[in-house]
Amino acid sequence: MNWPDFLALGFMRNAFATGTAVAIAGSLVGYFVVLRRQTFTAHALGNIGFAGAAGAQLVGFSPLGGLVVTTLAAAVWLTFVGARLSERDLGVGMLLMLALGLGVLFLNIYSANANAALGILFGSVLGIGERQMWVAIGVSVLVVVLLAILFRPLRIVTINEDFARAHGVPVELVTLAFMLTLALSIAVAVPVIGALLTFAIFVGPPAAAQAWTRRVGTGLALSVVLAVVQVWLGLLASYYVDYPATTWIAGLSFAVYLASRIGRPMGAAA
Amino acid sequence: MRPEDAEGAKPAIAVAGLAAGRGRMPAFRDVTFTVPPASLTVLVGPNGAGKTTLFEALLGLLRPQAGSVRILGRAPREARRYVGLVPQSARLAHEHQLAGREFVAAAFRARRLGLPLARRETALAVGEALAAVEAQDLADRRLGTLSGGQRRRLLFAQALVNRPEILLMDEPLAELDPAAQRTVVGLAARLRDRFGLTIVFSTHDVNPLIGIAERVLYLAGGRGVIGPIEEVVTGEVLTKLYGVPMEVFEARGRRFVVQDDAVMAAAPEEVAAAR
Repeated sequence: MNWPDFLALGFMRNAFATGTAVAIAGSLVGYFVVLRRQTFTAHALGNIGFAGAAGAQLVGFSPLGGLVVTTLAAAVWLTFVGARLSERDLGVGMLLMLALGLGVLFLNIYSANANAALGILFGSVLGIGERQMWVAIGVSVLVVVLLAILFRPLRIVTINEDFARAHGVPVELVTLAFMLTLALSIAVAVPVIGALLTFAIFVGPPAAAQAWTRRVGTGLALSVVLAVVQVWLGLLASYYVDYPATTWIAGLSFAVYLASRIGRPMGAAA
Repeated sequence: MRPEDAEGAKPAIAVAGLAAGRGRMPAFRDVTFTVPPASLTVLVGPNGAGKTTLFEALLGLLRPQAGSVRILGRAPREARRYVGLVPQSARLAHEHQLAGREFVAAAFRARRLGLPLARRETALAVGEALAAVEAQDLADRRLGTLSGGQRRRLLFAQALVNRPEILLMDEPLAELDPAAQRTVVGLAARLRDRFGLTIVFSTHDVNPLIGIAERVLYLAGGRGVIGPIEEVVTGEVLTKLYGVPMEVFEARGRRFVVQDDAVMAAAPEEVAAAR
């Protein structure tokens, strides 16, 4: 096959495929994260996943497996403990603190893996192998399917929880299902963008989309477009200018955010 | 339609000997009433008298500790699709950036799984619901930019989008200025008169509904009394209900409930709190 220059190498093809899958799933989930004001939760899940990955490496398991298991467990915990909105940040922050404390212990015990840890914290999209690529694509497809199934109950629970509860929507079940979906998509996004930078995909593009459009369908579509373009441009830039892809993607995400705040229609503030 | 016209018609809501509450102690016991179709009933009482508990029982979210609830002749859980609730708007996020029509559309067949692919049907239902509360002009406005009265309109439209026969309104006058209160009461009356909806309307103050609501259900002291406002909001009835001497004064067509020289606008929790 005649690949364009930047796709000639296998690892670049893996990076594009994985980055695209993660950007699509992450920005769709992220649209609801932003609407539900759970951005801190999304951020924390990635970092809690870091501790899981470090711990898994320590005992000889796959870091990706550790990521998935810990983010899912944290999602269940956060759904049922400290779920009340007024205390949510407290509950999320304390769990995040505990996880990071354990994470640094795991690194301390097994210091040979400091580089791997850096890859989890800041992303290592160019180091993604073929197997990991297929896992990320598979999980992303699953995340999109789950979101499509959950869409209507999730939308009403997000927009008017009291209404949803009164009309027989199982609010707790929908919330748990969404948190697990979020955890899955975070787990596969962490190796791509980094545990510390999940905002670049999960928050930046959806927040800009919500500033630009007041319709749900258009907002979801715009979120995906922004996230995918960011990832592609970031990968291209890192190929031609040898800075980390994460840096480029984060920079682009910030630029989109800035543009959405400046170019906001009047009267849309608040 | 006045209650006397509806005699013999099948009641929209029939409650008999109801005791219900969240804890072990019921918020009220032995509450009995029927609500005829296409009528407007005000639900008043001090905080903690069980207004929300009663709504939960009508919605089938709470099992009665005693007695029975029938909605259009069915058990509440089976009548769910005929009942719409307008929840208190205080709990809505004020900064939502979505359009009014998205807020309403979100409620359309919201219990079903899968994507909302019936776009034309949804648009039709949303358009009807917005028109019923004269809120077409809010369809493309962002939620975060709306006034309290405008949000109340969208909450009404949201509750109407699945075409219910009974509408429960939880404190729709809270936090509104008198002009907006009049508009909301007028809307409720219009929904009853034009669309034949059966409405139960909870509030702290019956006065905005005098001359509009056929009946009042007054919950206090763990019990309830139902009847026309002029028969229920009286010193004699409220004294029995509260178990302490109560007086009701009338001035300019408004009623004021008085206990121990303290005046209240028809609901006494300010006084209860001050004690």
